[in-house]
Amino acid sequence: MINYKIIFTGPVGAGKTTAISTISDRPPISTDKIASDMARDIKKTTTVACDYGTVRLNGDDCLHLYGTPGQQRFDFMWDILTSGGIGLVLLLDNTRLDPFQDLEFFLDQFQDFINQTQVAIGITQMDRKSSPCIDDYHNHLGKQGLTIPIFDVDARKRHDVSLLIKALLFSLDPGLLENHD
Amino acid sequence: MDNHTRPVKIAALGMEQRTYSTLQLFFHGHCEDNYVLVEENSADISIIDMDGFQAYRMLEEHKKHYPNQPSILISLSHDKAHDAEYIRKPIMLDALSLALRRAKERLQQPVTKAPDFEAPVAEITPQSQMTDSKPEADPPLLLSNIVHNPQKTVRPIKSGSNHFNQFRYSTNFLTEDTDLELVDTKLAAQFNPDDPEQVAKFQYQSKQTLQGYFQQAYFTALQEQQNVILKGVWRPITILYKSKQLRVEKNFRHLYALSGMLFDKSEVSITILDNNVDAEPGLHETVLPAEPFLWKLAMRTSRGRVPMDTNFTTPVKLIRWPNFTRTIVTPHALRIAALWAKQPTSLMDTANYLAVPLQHVFMFYTAAVSLNFVASTVTETDHSTIVLPQVKRHRYRKIFQNLLERLRNN
Repeated sequence: MINYKIIFTGPVGAGKTTAISTISDRPPISTDKIASDMARDIKKTTTVACDYGTVRLNGDDCLHLYGTPGQQRFDFMWDILTSGGIGLVLLLDNTRLDPFQDLEFFLDQFQDFINQTQVAIGITQMDRKSSPCIDDYHNHLGKQGLTIPIFDVDARKRHDVSLLIKALLFSLDPGLLENHD
Repeated sequence: MDNHTRPVKIAALGMEQRTYSTLQLFFHGHCEDNYVLVEENSADISIIDMDGFQAYRMLEEHKKHYPNQPSILISLSHDKAHDAEYIRKPIMLDALSLALRRAKERLQQPVTKAPDFEAPVAEITPQSQMTDSKPEADPPLLLSNIVHNPQKTVRPIKSGSNHFNQFRYSTNFLTEDTDLELVDTKLAAQFNPDDPEQVAKFQYQSKQTLQGYFQQAYFTALQEQQNVILKGVWRPITILYKSKQLRVEKNFRHLYALSGMLFDKSEVSITILDNNVDAEPGLHETVLPAEPFLWKLAMRTSRGRVPMDTNFTTPVKLIRWPNFTRTIVTPHALRIAALWAKQPTSLMDTANYLAVPLQHVFMFYTAAVSLNFVASTVTETDHSTIVLPQVKRHRYRKIFQNLLERLRNN
């Protein structure tokens, strides 16, 4: 049995746990705890170790979905989590004070991993706050010469999370075959 | 166009939904509701599509039941065997207006005997025609039509209004298209970019379409950072530059029925509005996101073709990914986008490398270029930097294939 993994990262409340549960074959194992300090104002519980879900592939192969803890004080885990990963899904909460700062922070933290693989970005909570818009994110990244898939995502919708993962996979290998994207 | 006290009632017989919708929009906008579509039994005039399976039988039945009702027949062939006005397809707006006017005149004549009138449609000079006809010379940009005369027609948004949320998940129409499968991908199977005849077949005059005019209005709004109103035979479309949204009539779906028509620039105007205030929709209006609207409009207008002057062998690069969760994902769009993000590739090479129908590449290109999401990497004459795709097969391709399959099936 061969294991592969996709890493979901992003700030507290961006929807990592929800996104994983949306596409996981079985209810994800979550290590959410009652939120304290900075996460308390955002949601009742927050992930302190990691979220974990799986997607069973053909044969014995299995895709593991790992969500990083949102709180920065647990960032020591990120390097361990990304080891052996095939790609990164970055979820950003559009209602946060400065989503661009979050964007820069996570791209910087995972720079080595992204260089070796690819990243796809999902912007959540756009129904609550429409600004900055998707175009603003592209303009921001365009200044750094980056062309990354960035989608408006509702982490509760399988369609949205699936498209984000598909974009990640095609970014890794555009030669992949699929009858209908 | 008419000063009738009540609208003339028109029955549209034997028509498919799109043609019916086009007529509806034409009567509503261009004819200012002087005509209205009704059922056959309450109509003053009938318009009959003669290219349907049982059209002649339907016509005979109609004549039997409504012998004095003036009829306008539309057909691909010019058959004058019947006592009626004939309009040859593609339908020209002027021809239809003239035929309606004549039919209305006949209505006002005393009914003594069956009229024996034949319409000289051949003499009618079109201003607007379907794009299936031979394209004319590329028109100049419409910038001369842009009126820099701010009009205070934008109503101020109410405090605390949340119309963004109201329409956000009610616009499935902009993210779905059942017509995608109607593009016959075999048509371009033997496409040769060096054959001018074939090239002409797969290019279209985008600047004279609603797509082209909307594009111009949209980018004018963004560039000038002003709200803009686009007027034509359709109900006015207001572009709100700040939110990148449109204020458009609620029944906006009719606009897509116009995607196959050409409009002379004299029929269209783009006016810059005062934008000290934001806007909210009127009673009969709705607000839509501009990008998916234009994306779908371009896709519909394209029908597997590309805008005039598109180079088929120049590498194309992706400038930004479309927001695929909120726009139509055209066939193979994710693959094409990923390839062009990684490696600029020409339209021809893209189809070869990905082994996808060329028309699917054309469709994605047309939608993407309408929003400036893609660009050519070299000028037409500079082919020295062209490189063929060198994208490596990923070592986990098999696993990725499995995962794609899972995502599609679930």
